[in-house]
Amino acid sequence: MFNEMYDGDSVRPEYKLIQDWIDENGVEALTEKRAEAEALFRRVGITFAVYGEGGDPERLIPFDMVPRVFGASEWDKIERGSIQRANALNAFLTDIYGDREIIKAGILPESMVTGNEAYEAVMEGYTPPGGVFSHIIGVDLVRVDAETSYVLEDNCRTPSGVSYVLQNREVMERMFPDLFRGGIVRPVDHYGDMLAEAMQSVAPPMCDREPTLAILTPGQYNSAYYEHSFLADLMGVELVEGQDLFVEDNRVYMRTTRGPERVDVLYRRIDDAFLDPLTFNPDSMLGVPGIIGAMKAGGVTVVNAPGAGVADDKAIYIHVPEMIKFYLGEDAILPNVPTWQCGKPDECKYVMEHLAELVVKEVHGSGGYGMLIGPASTKAEIEAYAERIKADPAGFIAQPTLALSTSPVLTDAGLAPRHVDLRPYVISGKETKLIPGGLTRVALREGSLVVNSSQGGGVKDTWVLSQ
Amino acid sequence: MLSRTANGLYWMSRYVERAENIARLIDAGRRMDALPDAGVNGNSEWASIVIASGCSTTFPHELEEATRENVVHHLIFDHENPSSVYSSFAAARENARAMRIAVTTEVWDAINETWATMRSLTPSAADRGQLSGLLDWIKQRGFLIRGAAGASMLRGPGYSFVEIGKYVERADATARLVDVKYNVLLPEDQSVGGGLDYMQWQQILRAANSLRAFRWVYREAVTARTLVDFLILNKVSPRSVAHCYCEIVEGLEDLDPRTTDQLRVLNRARRMRDDILETSVDDVLGQGLHEWLTATIVDTNMFAGELAAAFGFLGPLESQSQSQSAS
Repeated sequence: MFNEMYDGDSVRPEYKLIQDWIDENGVEALTEKRAEAEALFRRVGITFAVYGEGGDPERLIPFDMVPRVFGASEWDKIERGSIQRANALNAFLTDIYGDREIIKAGILPESMVTGNEAYEAVMEGYTPPGGVFSHIIGVDLVRVDAETSYVLEDNCRTPSGVSYVLQNREVMERMFPDLFRGGIVRPVDHYGDMLAEAMQSVAPPMCDREPTLAILTPGQYNSAYYEHSFLADLMGVELVEGQDLFVEDNRVYMRTTRGPERVDVLYRRIDDAFLDPLTFNPDSMLGVPGIIGAMKAGGVTVVNAPGAGVADDKAIYIHVPEMIKFYLGEDAILPNVPTWQCGKPDECKYVMEHLAELVVKEVHGSGGYGMLIGPASTKAEIEAYAERIKADPAGFIAQPTLALSTSPVLTDAGLAPRHVDLRPYVISGKETKLIPGGLTRVALREGSLVVNSSQGGGVKDTWVLSQ
Repeated sequence: MLSRTANGLYWMSRYVERAENIARLIDAGRRMDALPDAGVNGNSEWASIVIASGCSTTFPHELEEATRENVVHHLIFDHENPSSVYSSFAAARENARAMRIAVTTEVWDAINETWATMRSLTPSAADRGQLSGLLDWIKQRGFLIRGAAGASMLRGPGYSFVEIGKYVERADATARLVDVKYNVLLPEDQSVGGGLDYMQWQQILRAANSLRAFRWVYREAVTARTLVDFLILNKVSPRSVAHCYCEIVEGLEDLDPRTTDQLRVLNRARRMRDDILETSVDDVLGQGLHEWLTATIVDTNMFAGELAAAFGFLGPLESQSQSQSAS
């Protein structure tokens, strides 16, 4: 198991900064700062709503005070690999809603694309400005040793969490100003400018002026509402709800106290199904009737475009390395986790025989729900899960139980290693880029591999060193 | 500014003001309750507070059964009462949270902390000896939130809606506070203009935090005439209806209204202001104080309705030719 801070008894160079601080100030100083940090988070209202679990629905995501650190060359690889992946995924989306070269080339069966739940036939023949379907892609990475990070999954719809990246940094800079002196840690606070610039660069064809940007939220009861308002504030754009917008002559307008005002690029944080009751779910109260028509006519750009979810499906995931080869002519810089598809009889047979060692996931599931972690499950749980696989083999994939890397967290008994993952956010517009950093999620329970915030996960500030 | 945002800021502000005014009403009840001869005719002081707060329909008891305890509970802590201090602070926070990017961190902090404390209070916080402290706290939170808004918000349309909301609510509340007296029965041996009558007026002034100010302006003991002048007609008094109307007009002018409906609202506000500035105490008393106050409350509410419609608060603003193209 790879420990990112310690190599045996010696501290890895990336974490020297942290070790020096602790040696000088003691772990107790960290504990004191923790209470201060929590008060700060609570004050700014950065909470994460978890519904249906009882307790305070506006709870804080636990924040761990020890940063997770990447060296410059470690980051360089993650950056290049994530950008490469985002470019390939966008090329794929433009292709499958266009000429479908990848299907003609026999790399993917047509049924895997058109039969996919996230596939939106209404998008066929639509090429978004710049060929970008998914303007913000979260690439979930897990590290297994000093050299190797696997891509666990892609998030091409509306990945969330970036507000934590920025707020975690804000809090850390307030708590530990001396650690940030001299630009040792690369800043992340230009995320808002980067996103706004990308949105401006994909203005729709009918836009004949500086484009007006807005963020569409389902409203304040959505679990990510804080993030929506945070991003709108960061970019200085309106945070709108469906009821604030209407479509007229293929253009989208906001209802303001001064009358209608046009919106050119809309970063929507509501799911495809709720976006346009005329096209998708007719009962949606959250969406904007006619917005899909306006988008296809070139009156508005929707960020991320509907139908992008087909690229982050777990069945498609397996083929991303081939996509990279096909569209970019390159080898994948960041490999996939070795994956068995239960839809293939011989692979399924292997999975059924090795359930106790594997992690099995639903192809269409998300958020860490409905998965089986073989080594952590009882015999009865494994048997019950096996029945589910038998009933619908194609609905499941399996992966080895990865020895996720650990990073130290602050516990009541001092520092202790816990498993972490990483989600960098790749922004695509005229260019594809990302901020140096991302969301590090950490499984706070000892031994746990589940980092999801809905299941006992926390977050850490993620540092990329400038050299 | 989004109409929905304007709507949210306006209501956030109204609810903060409402919480404070409910506290002032209770304070008036508490003070009258402490007067000699109070309670001779049952608890009419407390019934009058329920009536003046506009909560007689939600009040879960007969008005004759109104007591200090059940009125305080209903007006401060009752979750079922949409106008209780609890519900008002909750609604103020909900609106602020929904408009998070339109309010400053300072305003949000003040409202959020207020709500966190309010939520943690139990009715024992109003036990005898603690009630006036609790009422002071509620009023202070109002001062803090308004102060945060005044000191930190951009002077743009958002602030104008905050101001207008505050003064619409306050005009209504002051009219209701003065009307408390109408429903408090004087014992038969006490006459209008007599000792108890005088003391009751004095308590109303105190509840408006205006006794000292009143003295500075009039230099005489309070009477119905001077009180009406001070709390209704005199625009130097910050809680007077006249002052509120003046501020509403200013807020609307700052918004620079353009549409026909918006201009009509501005004209209505100006008319209300001009009318009240020309009204004399004799006009008010001649019409009957209670009748005059009732008419003012109705006028203010009709104005608020027109304001909401003109700025798109009531559901969506329709564009001139809403012909949605189906995709």
